[in-house]
This record gives sequence, C-alpha cells and structure tokens, in this order.
Amino acid sequence: MFRIRIHGRGGQGIKTAGRILGTAFFRAGYEVQDAPVYGAERRGAPMFACVRAGREPIRERGLITRPDLVVIADDTLVGIPAAKVLLGIGKHTVVLIQSALEEANWRTRLGISNPILVLPGRALNQEAGEPLAGATCAGAAARLVGTIPRETLAQALREEVSSLGAEILERNLEHALAAFDAVTANAGIVVQTAGTAASDYIPPEWINLPFDPAQLSAPDIYAAATSVEVRTGLWRTMRPVIDYARCNHCAWICSTFCPDSAIALRADGAPEIDFDHCKGCLICVAVCPPHAISALPERAVPATQPAREGS
Amino acid sequence: MINVIHRMKDLPSTHLLGTGTPMCAGCGGLGGLHQIYDLLGTRTVFVNAAGCMTLLAAYPFTPFRGSWLYTAMASAPAGAQGVRDALDILLEQGRMPRDEDLTTVVITGDGSAYGMGLSATSAAIERGLDFIYFCYDNEGYGNTGQQSSSATPHAARTATSRSHAGRKKDLFAIWAAHQPAYAATVIAAEPLDLAKKIEKAKSLRGPRLILSLAPCPPGWDFDPADAITIGRLAVRSGIWPLKEYVDGRIVHTNRPHPRVPVEDYLKTQGRFRHLFEPRRDETLLAEIQARVDAYWASVDT
Amino acid sequence: MKQLLTGNAAAAWGARLAGADYVPAFPITPQTEIIELLAQWFATGEMGGRLVMMESEHSMLTAAAAAAATGVRAFTATSSQGLLYAMEMLYTVPGWRAPFVLVNVSRGLASPITLESDHNDILAARDSGFLQIHCAGCQEVLDSVLLAYRLAEDERVRLPVIVNLDGFTLSFTREPVAVPLAAEAAQFLPQYDAKNIRFRASKPISQAVAVLGGSPYSYFRYETHLAALNAVDVYEEVATDFAKRFGRRHAAVECYRSDDAEYLYFMIGAFASKAMDAVDRLRETGMRIGLVRPRLLRPYPVNALRRALSGKKAVAVIDQNLSMGKGGVLVTELASALYSEPGAPLLASYVAGLGGRDISQEEFFEIAGELRGAHTRGSAPAPRLLYTAEELRELRKLQAIAAVEREEIGGRK
Repeated sequence: MFRIRIHGRGGQGIKTAGRILGTAFFRAGYEVQDAPVYGAERRGAPMFACVRAGREPIRERGLITRPDLVVIADDTLVGIPAAKVLLGIGKHTVVLIQSALEEANWRTRLGISNPILVLPGRALNQEAGEPLAGATCAGAAARLVGTIPRETLAQALREEVSSLGAEILERNLEHALAAFDAVTANAGIVVQTAGTAASDYIPPEWINLPFDPAQLSAPDIYAAATSVEVRTGLWRTMRPVIDYARCNHCAWICSTFCPDSAIALRADGAPEIDFDHCKGCLICVAVCPPHAISALPERAVPATQPAREGS
Repeated sequence: MINVIHRMKDLPSTHLLGTGTPMCAGCGGLGGLHQIYDLLGTRTVFVNAAGCMTLLAAYPFTPFRGSWLYTAMASAPAGAQGVRDALDILLEQGRMPRDEDLTTVVITGDGSAYGMGLSATSAAIERGLDFIYFCYDNEGYGNTGQQSSSATPHAARTATSRSHAGRKKDLFAIWAAHQPAYAATVIAAEPLDLAKKIEKAKSLRGPRLILSLAPCPPGWDFDPADAITIGRLAVRSGIWPLKEYVDGRIVHTNRPHPRVPVEDYLKTQGRFRHLFEPRRDETLLAEIQARVDAYWASVDT
Repeated sequence: MKQLLTGNAAAAWGARLAGADYVPAFPITPQTEIIELLAQWFATGEMGGRLVMMESEHSMLTAAAAAAATGVRAFTATSSQGLLYAMEMLYTVPGWRAPFVLVNVSRGLASPITLESDHNDILAARDSGFLQIHCAGCQEVLDSVLLAYRLAEDERVRLPVIVNLDGFTLSFTREPVAVPLAAEAAQFLPQYDAKNIRFRASKPISQAVAVLGGSPYSYFRYETHLAALNAVDVYEEVATDFAKRFGRRHAAVECYRSDDAEYLYFMIGAFASKAMDAVDRLRETGMRIGLVRPRLLRPYPVNALRRALSGKKAVAVIDQNLSMGKGGVLVTELASALYSEPGAPLLASYVAGLGGRDISQEEFFEIAGELRGAHTRGSAPAPRLLYTAEELRELRKLQAIAAVEREEIGGRK
C-alpha cells in the first residue's frame, strides 16, 4: 500500500491535492482512501491530507503515521513543530518539498538521510492568491509513485477542479502536469510498504489512568491570556513592514484595527508589530493613513528581520 | 468608571485580548471583540454560545485575562443568568466582597443570536437580566463554512444557497421591541462609534445588546486586508445603519450623507459576485438599493 | 417530628434544608408542586437566594450549572419531556465538574404523550455523567436530596446528581415524613465551598473550554468516569454519617429479606414497596423470596449487587422502561454485572408499569411462580410485557372507536 501525507496550510489547496491524487490512483485501478485532516485553526494554519492506495481493499483508518511519501507543499511548515511534517518517517520515506532552496540545504536543515526531492520556484504561487500549491504537489506525487499515467492525472484534475471554472482548471492542469514532468527522473522512487507485523512490534506502554481531582481534571484554564503561547505568526505568508521614516505615530489607528491585538505602541509612540502573532491579514497596510506600512512576502524578508519562526 | 472618548486618540492603546487566537486572519468578529474587551476590561465573565468563537479558548489556551464559560448554542443567555444570579446571591448574602463582582457578557454569533438562541435571549431580556449581549454577526454559520442563517442578507451566496432568498432578520428591532436597557449596532471599522456605545452600555444596567457586523474574509469571500474598507462601506452605503436604542428611542449615530451606492459595498465580496458577473443583475441590485433607500426614507422623516 | 408530605413536597423540603441558594425553574406535570413550594419559601424569606422562572429546561439546566460553576448551591427539578429537552445540557454540564442537584419526577415519554410514571425518562440520562439516586418513598426523597448534595460536592466526586421519584405514585402521594431540623441538616451539609472552580474578579478562570484531539479528550472524559466511580465509596461514607445523625440508613442497594432468599425481585422506584408486600405474603407460603432495589444506579454498585445476587436461584427483573428492540434496561445492566460470576442466578425479564400501568399483587405472585419454574427447568422464561387479556379487550374497544378510518382503508376489525 502507498501511504502519502501532503502538508500545507489552510487555503493552499491541500484538501484538493489529496482528492486529485486519490482520484488519480482510483482511475489507475487502485483501491483508495483520501481525507483531509484539520485542526481547529483556519486559513493559513497548518493542515494535511492523507492518501492511501493499494491493490487490496484498504482497512487502515485515520491519519497516516508511517508514510511512504511526505509532501511538504509549504516549506515554512518545517519550522513549525506542531505541523509534524516528519511524523513517523522511516528510512524508506521519500520527502518531497516545494521550495526555492536547494536539496543540500534541506538535507542539512531536516537532518535526515532519506531521499529528499525539491520542487523548485515556479510552483510557489499561493502568495498570488491562488491555491496552486496543492495541485502542483499532487502532480509531482503522482509521478513519484510511478504507476499513474499522465493522462490519468489530467483526468483526475478535471474531475476535482472543473467546478471552480475552466480558467482555474487550466492553470491547475498546467502546474500539476509540469510538476509531473519535472520529477520524471525519480518516477517510481516511492515504494509501497506493508503495515506493522504482529510478530514484531513495540508494545504500547499502557497505564491505568489515575484519578485527578476536579481542580486538575476539569477542562478549565486558571491562567490569563495563555493564547500568547500560540505562534499564529506562523500562519503568515505576507509580512507588514513599517517604514518608520513615514510613520505618523498615529499608532492608535493600526493598533485598534489589528483584530489580533498584534500591534502595540512603543515608548516613542510608534507602532510595533508582534510577528510571533501577526497572521498577515494586512489590515494595517490598508488602514495606515500615511501608507507607511507595506506588504512583503515572508520568503523575501531579509535575514536581518526577526526570524519567521519567532524571535 | 466611564472613560470619555471623543477622538480615535482616546481609544485604549494597550490591548487586553491575548494574541494567538485561532480566529481567521482579518476576522471582523475578533476585530470587534478586541476593541470591546479593551473597554469592558477583565472584570468580566464572557459566556459563550457555540459558533466561531467556541474555539477562542481551546485547552490550555485562552485569550481572556478575565473569565469565560462555554455553554452551548442555544443557552448562553441562560448561562449568563445563572452566573449573574449566583454573583448577586453571593453579594446579597455577604459571601463575596463587592470587588470580586464581574460584568456578565454573552458572546454569540448570528447563528445562535438570530436563531437557536433567540428564545433564551428573549427570555433573558424579559427577565431584565443585567448583562451585555455581544453578537458578532457574520451573516451565516461561519464556523461550519458559511451556510445561510437567518442573518444572511438577501441575494448572498452561501454554502447552502446560490442566492439567499431570505431577508436578514432585524435583530436590533427584535431587541428594541423588548424595551431593553440599551441596544446598539456597531462595527469594528468605526471604532470611535463603537467605543462611545460601549461606554454608554457600561453606564447602564439591564439587558444591553451590542450587535456587531463582522465582515468575514472566508465566508464573504474577500481579501482579509479589505475587512475594514468593507466595514466602512457597509456604513457609508447605509446597508448597516449605526444606531442605538436608549430610553425608548432609536437614534442613528451615523447618517451617511451622501450614501454611496450599495453596489459599491456588494461588489467587494465574492458572495455577491453573481450580481455582477457574468452580467449585472439590475433587478436584484435595484431591489437591494431600494430597500436601503426605503429604510433611510423611513428614519429620515 | 413527622408530617404528611407528598413526594414533591419532600423534594422541596430537601432543597430547603440543603440551603439551596438558587433555583432556576420551568414547570412540567408532575413536578410543578416542587417549584411552587420553593417559590413560596423564597418569597416569604424561609429560603435565602432566589428562584428564577426560565423559558425552557435547556436554559434551566444551563443556569443551574452556571450558578454552580460560580459557587452557589443550585437546585432544580423537571420530568419526562422536560428532561429530554434539557438533554444536551444534561450531557454537557457534568464535565464542568460543577455539583448541584436535579430532581426528576419520572413520567413516561412520548410518543404517545402521556402523564403517568415510568422510568424511560431518567434512564435516557443514564450515560450523561449525572449520578442517579432512585427513591421508593417520600422520606427517601427528602433524605436523598440531602445525601445527593454531600455526594455531589465531595472533592472526590464533584458531579451533579439526579434524585428520581415516580410521578403520581410518589409525587402526588402523601406519606408521613420526618423533616430534619434545619440546624441538624446544616451540620450534615455545610455551606458549599467551590474552592477555586468559580468566577471571581481576582481569580480569572476559563471554564468548560474546548479540548481538541482524542487523547486529551479521552483524559477529561475518563476522569469524569473515575469521579463517578469514586462515588460508590463516598456514598457509603455519606450514608453512614446520615444514619448516625438521623437514624435512617439508605443503602446504595436496599435489600429486603434477601439474605436467606432463594429468589429475588429486582426493581427500582416506588412500586418496589409493592414487591416487599408480595415478599411477605409469599414468605407466608414458605417461599424464600426477597427484594433487591438499587438506589444508586450511577455509579452502578456492581460489587454490592454481586454480593446481593450471587448464589440465588432466579431473579425477576422488573423494568418500568423499555429499550425498543432490546427490552428492559435494568436487566441488561444487571446481566453485564453478573456475567461469569460464580453462582449467578437465572434472570427473568419483565417489562411492566409503563406509563403508570399498575403491577398487581397477583402479578408479583405469578412472577414468583415463574421463577420457581425457571429454576426447576434450568432456564429463564422469555422476556415479556405484563399485560392481561382483559387489558387487550379494553384496548380493542378503544380501537373500535378510533378505527373508523382504518376500516375505510381496509384494515381488520
């Protein structure tokens, strides 16, 4: 059975990617399971899709914990522990990552000896407002498993994307097929694996849950504003950057309109953006009277700026 | 204590609501809540009805520096009743110092406020419950993907309607018919108007409605950066009248003049795209405009 | 000092003696007398705090739990359809770990809508997380409300409790009831201390927040279960203390002439006293029969039930409820407790007393005969509804009146 996990963010077309790949497998004669897995979070938040395909009826359920192929549609997820992009990878697991960085760079950053394939530049399109990352990844994944014909992939795209309109389908087809072709050299690199053997497994370390008093075991939070520990800044794909030379110090404006309480006043009365939590909605850019705030793609942020993963 | 707020500059510059909530980028509901929380402060207990903001507090993370209780979709006002009554009993019996008292605030989306929770709300108003009722109205069941609710405006596309046939319930009028202590419509895009109304609400006791139109980027289909622009257009087009009910009278706190055409507001949002593409639906556009015009004609006399 | 009280008045007295501060209320037959009495006592100042009329049981239960979560002692009461209308909150609020007491006056469920008692309403709350105490007399109702608060508020438990009494047969029926002195009740049940689970300006708390993910969710749910299980031992302590102070012992499992019995009746609620009477009469004939009546249904007192039933020849489980497509609920639960126990008795299942239908002494005697037969045969009789030929004849007369249309569409006469 092939077990494939596709990681991305809400709004990048990851759910669709899972469906495209699932349909492609199905049209190629496989038994298939595909499902998106969301947390509570929203657009921009990490999520993933699971696709299983095999020649026998599939009995596994739920999220894939032993992937044969991990697709990382958004390379910024690598820095987010909660995204768990490498969860359960084995020696054989192929890692496909969409990124402007080189394979060698990722090998160092990920610290793994697995096969790592990088889908370069052109696919990084979600910042243009179109969820093409998913289709691109689905296209590449379809080639890497080695058993899905190009036309079958195209057919799957038509089935899954047509409802969004001919123009969007066309762009999705273009990206997916280009990605399919781009990884041809590695066609078939993903291998199918069997599940855990009953004769050789690590037993679960079961315990008997102890009784805890209600003060501990009621779903209550006694501390204030613990949500600041959630780095919603990781959702951001675009960064608002303040040009302090143009800033009027009318910080009550941007700070009031920022829905996330992520703009505070500095001692000198100028606004300061909390990049650990700014989700990149860019309302501040839109409301700034002297137009002193501009939007910069996260990837283009110079290294001197606070790191994306939080400073 | 009542703060005097005349200018934007007078608005609070430190923000109480914690960062890191799971609300969507550009959320108009959160935009309203964060402004309101600054003014209400932490001596509050928010009683939450099921909706997008169910997930404001998800263990172990809460953005509140004061208190909160999650109830269910239909009965947040009843939860507020229980909390308020309990606090009053403790005060009356001298079992709790006065400085431990809290303002009780219901927080609800339009799905509950206009629908499932309406019976509980009506009853709480009738009982004269001393509470603030904050509704973030994003005109649909947003948390589940924007299906139509009875707050959905006519002709809006939702996940369950190509062009919504219903006509948004007038929740403000429903409240006003109960003769509450106070009722107001607000929007995060007009913070000064919002702040003045919150300060007025704080100075009163009894049932008080703060009905906040909440432009919703995914639900209404627009770029999050436009949330405030769209909110301003809602006011300037007259489709979201800013008003308050106090002492038995309805007063408009912002009379847009001249009003911009309502289509300037509609065309900012994907949910109304079918009114413009592939061709303009002149009949529907004229009908929507006529309703807005009729509203203002009725209140301008 | 005893006085004649209805079951409803006994429940109201229980709330009054418990010093309940807060009663959100909504009327439903046959519970109304409880809230009317309480309203009167709050009005006269005989009770401190307040009663608030709500617009539904769903809101009523929300308000009661929210008040408990704020740190006052809350009480409320409902019945039947009202309990079902509150069902979402009934399952929700135990997880708040906010203790309070809900009295349910049992009444059959729709459809068809009816007024008199059976236990399907309360058994629908079985898996909610509320603990359940079932009463068989008016004295028990009053005492059980006091016991319920001690149990609910115990740090090892901290869960809401339902005290159940049968509509009509107890709710509207007066019996002599010893009403404890207020001071003695207050000693047994001191003022509620919510500790740190409560709303105060100086101590912010977010209560009942969402928990995402199956693993933490499992923890919170199972902890509520563990707290409910703790209530078995805590109940024993509380009941012992109550007996010491008031001279009345209310066991988790009431046993009547069961020690030396070969056969048993097994049932809950008011009709159990009829079974006691049948036991006495049958003993006169030489049959060694007794009665076992669990008062505590949640937590389920498994060990006490095993002790009471093991080694008996046959047990008649009389269910005043019906799980459609399965049968009686009590017999199903009991079977699970006794399965593979050495000396487990034969279980004979009877569904009876639905919607207030009487169970006659003759029927109790006949059941006893069937138990003996079952033992001789070595197998239990098939489950049955207690229903007589005469009843069916009477029903046919009603159908004849109702049947005009049916005949027109070709039904049988």
